[in-house]
Order: sequence, then C-alpha cells, then structure tokens
Amino acid sequence: MNISIAAEPIFHIGSFPVTNTILVTLVLSLIIIAASYILKNKISLVPRGFQNIVESVLEALLNLVDSVTQDHRQSKKFFPLVATIFIFVILTNWVEVVPGLGTIGIREELHGKEVLVPFIRSGAADLNLTLALAIVSVMAAQILGIAAIGFGKYAQKFFVSPLHKPYFVGTFVGILEIISEVAKLISFSFRLFGNIFAGEVLLTVMLFLVPYFVPLPFLFLELFVGFVQALVFAMLTLVFLKMAATEAAH
Amino acid sequence: MSELLNKLGIDYKLLIAQIINFLVLLFVLWKFAYGPILAILEKRQKKIEKGLADAEAAEKRLEESEKKQKEVLRKARTEAKEIVEKAYVQAEKTKSEIAEEAKAQAEKIIQSAKKEIETEKEKTIAEIKSEIGGLVVAATEKIVDEKIDGKKDKELIEKSLK
Repeated sequence: MNISIAAEPIFHIGSFPVTNTILVTLVLSLIIIAASYILKNKISLVPRGFQNIVESVLEALLNLVDSVTQDHRQSKKFFPLVATIFIFVILTNWVEVVPGLGTIGIREELHGKEVLVPFIRSGAADLNLTLALAIVSVMAAQILGIAAIGFGKYAQKFFVSPLHKPYFVGTFVGILEIISEVAKLISFSFRLFGNIFAGEVLLTVMLFLVPYFVPLPFLFLELFVGFVQALVFAMLTLVFLKMAATEAAH
Repeated sequence: MSELLNKLGIDYKLLIAQIINFLVLLFVLWKFAYGPILAILEKRQKKIEKGLADAEAAEKRLEESEKKQKEVLRKARTEAKEIVEKAYVQAEKTKSEIAEEAKAQAEKIIQSAKKEIETEKEKTIAEIKSEIGGLVVAATEKIVDEKIDGKKDKELIEKSLK
C-alpha cells in the first residue's frame, strides 16, 4: 500500500505528466459534456426521465443561489459558475467510491521500491484540481468586482496610499485584503483536498484491513462528505461573488 | 517554496490543464445545459401560472353563470306563480259575474213573464166582461122576450152589472 499526497503520473506526453487524477477528470468531463449534449437535443417542455433529474438539481441550486443573492437577475449571472462547480466537484468526489480505486493500476519502480500506481484517483484528491478551482472561483470574484466599478477603483481596495486619511491604517488594511484573497485560495483548495484525500486514504486502508462489509458505512460517509464539500465549495464561491458585487456597489 | 509545491504535487502544467478543463466544462454546460434548462423551466412556470389563472377565471365564470341561472329560474318561478294566481282570481271573478248575470237574466225573464200574464189576464177579464154583457142582453131578451127600448135596456144592464 502506497499513499502519496501528489497524484501519480501514469505516463508522460513530452514533459507533460499525465496523472491518474487528470485522466479521471478528463473522462468525467467528457461524460458530463456528452450527457449535457444528449440532454440538449432531447429537451422538451414536458420533462421525462433524465431531464427530470437534471431539472430538479438545477432548480434546487437556482433556489439556493436566489436565497443568497435575493435578486433573480444576479442569480442568473452567478448561477453557471456555482452550478458547474457544484456538479463537477460532487461528481469528482464521488469517483472515490468507484470500485477499483487505489487497487487497479500498474506496478512501477519508484525510489527503488515497487509501488502500485492506481488508474483511478478522485480528482479532488489532487491539489492541482482543487487549486485550479480555487483560482477560477477567486478570479471570478475579482473580475466581477472590476466589471462593477472599473479596474482603477477596484485596485484602490488593495492599494491604499499612506498619505490620505486613515494613513498607514488604510495601507495596512489594503495589504490584509490581499492576504485574505490569497488565504481564500489556500483555504478553498486545502479544505476540499484534505477532505477528499483523507476519505480516499480511509477507504483504501479500510479495504486493506477488512475487505468485506466493513468499508460499506465508510462508502456512504464518503458519499455524504463529497456532497457536503461540493456544496461548501459552491456556496463559498457564491458568497464571495455576492460580496464582491455588493462591496463594489458601496 | 518550489520544493514545498513539489512535495504537495502541485505542477503548473497540471494546474493550467485543470483550469482549462474546468473552463471548457463551464462553457459547455452553460451553452448546453443551463441556458436551455433554465429557459424551459421559466417557460413551464409561466405556462403553469397561466393555466392556473385560466382555471380560476373559468371557475369564476362558471359560478357566475350558475348564479345567473338560479336567478333566472327563481324569477321564472315567481312569475309563473303570479300568473297562476292572477288567472285564479280572474276565473273566480268571471264565475261570479256569470252567475250574477244569469240571475239577473232569470229575474228579467220572470218579470216579463209576470207582466205578460198580467196583461193577458186583464185582456181576458175585459173580454169576458164584454162577452158577459152580450150574453146577459141575449139572455134577458130571451127571458123578457121583447126588447125594451134600447135606452132603457142599456140602463138596466149597467144597473145590474154594478
């Protein structure tokens, strides 16, 4: 059994390491895209089957966004990003309960030891993915702020001249604002990564110790954790977007 | 710093790949899923709202027409009752009138009959009177067998008739 914080590369294309997480993420994205394409062609006013499920999920999300923004037009603006984050994260999180996780793979020599490199590894159990999502989410909030009041004014939130009224206090607050943006990145990415990585390790260890029945409750637990983490990520993104939009208005 | 990132498995190439992957996913879902689904949700909501409003309006109209119908029925019933009552009264009136008329007619007939009888009686009496006078003259003539002169005769007759 080998536990590594970094995702393991399965093969390389040039200097680009194709890790198991990026493979899983790509496959998952393709599945989502294919499903949405099929859905788009079969959409009808009287919902049927798959459309029902998608509709109820999206409607619940839209109501959630509405309840935070209290403004339907704004909700519609935020909705695509929030919903995509939620759907993508919950599905990558749920990859970890797919059978074969951490067990099916290729044996490789690493640091003089032979270790198993699994094919399937939940996307969020790789900091690259969580950091990527965090960057998209935080950048979206910045772009929203800039779009609302213009770049110059928005920059004044972070860079305050020490020569004007609250003097160095203002400058210091500006620096704190920058730090808080970076902290958002870190908290976003490590929260999701930590939860999912821990879940994955837990499941792998459980499977090694007691292969039958005992891992079952943990599987359900991980399903729940995956849902909660996806919801938290999406909600935090939504809240930051809302904050950026309201701060800009003041 | 770079060693730390390395240990955590952060690789800028992978990072960029993941960001692009997510953005592509976002774009595709935006185009294929959110747009059409939200549009259709809104459309359906409007349709349902309209349907409900229509149903309510129809119900209201039905209620109104029912009320009107009831009103008309009630009116018709009272009118009919009135007509029947009137007819009854009229009939009663006509009945009594006819009876009265008949009575009057009968009275009149009786009256005229009585009058006729009276005149007939008088006429008969007068006739009888004159007849009797003649008869008495004849009888007296026969008895006396001779005619006293006319003047005396007449006097006599009148005297005896008194």
